[in-house]
Amino acid sequence: MHRRRIPKWLLWSLLTIALWGTWGLVSKIASTGVDAYMNQLLYTAGLAPLMVFVAITVHREQGKVIANRNSGIFWAFFTGILGGVGNIAFFQALVKGGKASVVAPVTALFPMVTVLLALMFLKEKLGRTQWLGLALAFAAIYMLSA
Amino acid sequence: MQLWLMFSVVALVLWGISGITQKLATNRITSERSFLWFCWAMVALSAVVMLVVHLNWGLGKMVLISAIAGGALNGLGAWTSFRALESGGKASIVISLVSLYPLLTVLLAVLILGERLTGLQTMGAFTAIGAAILLSVETSAQA
Repeated sequence: MHRRRIPKWLLWSLLTIALWGTWGLVSKIASTGVDAYMNQLLYTAGLAPLMVFVAITVHREQGKVIANRNSGIFWAFFTGILGGVGNIAFFQALVKGGKASVVAPVTALFPMVTVLLALMFLKEKLGRTQWLGLALAFAAIYMLSA
Repeated sequence: MQLWLMFSVVALVLWGISGITQKLATNRITSERSFLWFCWAMVALSAVVMLVVHLNWGLGKMVLISAIAGGALNGLGAWTSFRALESGGKASIVISLVSLYPLLTVLLAVLILGERLTGLQTMGAFTAIGAAILLSVETSAQA
């Protein structure tokens, strides 16, 4: 009998949902006994083993010549700072009484800011789907904050 | 505006801006190298936090494990999402699919933490997930 195999990309995607979905829960549990700054510090400690693994992978491709490498590193580092300060704000939202079941959906709307910035600064055009997504995002924030 | 909402909006805005800067980074270097420098920035930020903020080191075991697990789960999630894209998944499908993650958080928070949502908030949670999917579909299709 021919067995249908689940595609690898689907398994990785489902695993991503499981990992990120659980992150919201453990962050709320942590926020009951730790402030946002300490939470960010411990978050970084949790990230360390993966960082070592990725560093080994990156070290292997060290010899390759990459154009625009320094500017790429700058933007990646800046992304990390934005991500980290964003994390602190996320942890503060949980510490200040926000429910994980409300804060997670609100903050997951961050692509709306990316889309708006791409519209304003990168002169990207928005399709109907994105306009609808933006409208729904504003409506969702209103409903979740009620 | 309630304080928790204000902080949520700050996180949303900063993560939203990082969507653009991440694109600028991965246009120039590989996603692995970009992730590594993203992590270095987290380390630098943690060093600044240690120097500037008075930290309370008296932590409960459960809190300590949860906070460290948070970093591991989020970092691994970023890594598995790259793997999904590298394994042949279309960006428009993978990014839309992983946008469903708050649904699991809502489910776990209700089941494990006993959180309760009003009817309007429940509608809002589903609308937010729908909005995130719609925003991701076209963004990834353009990328």
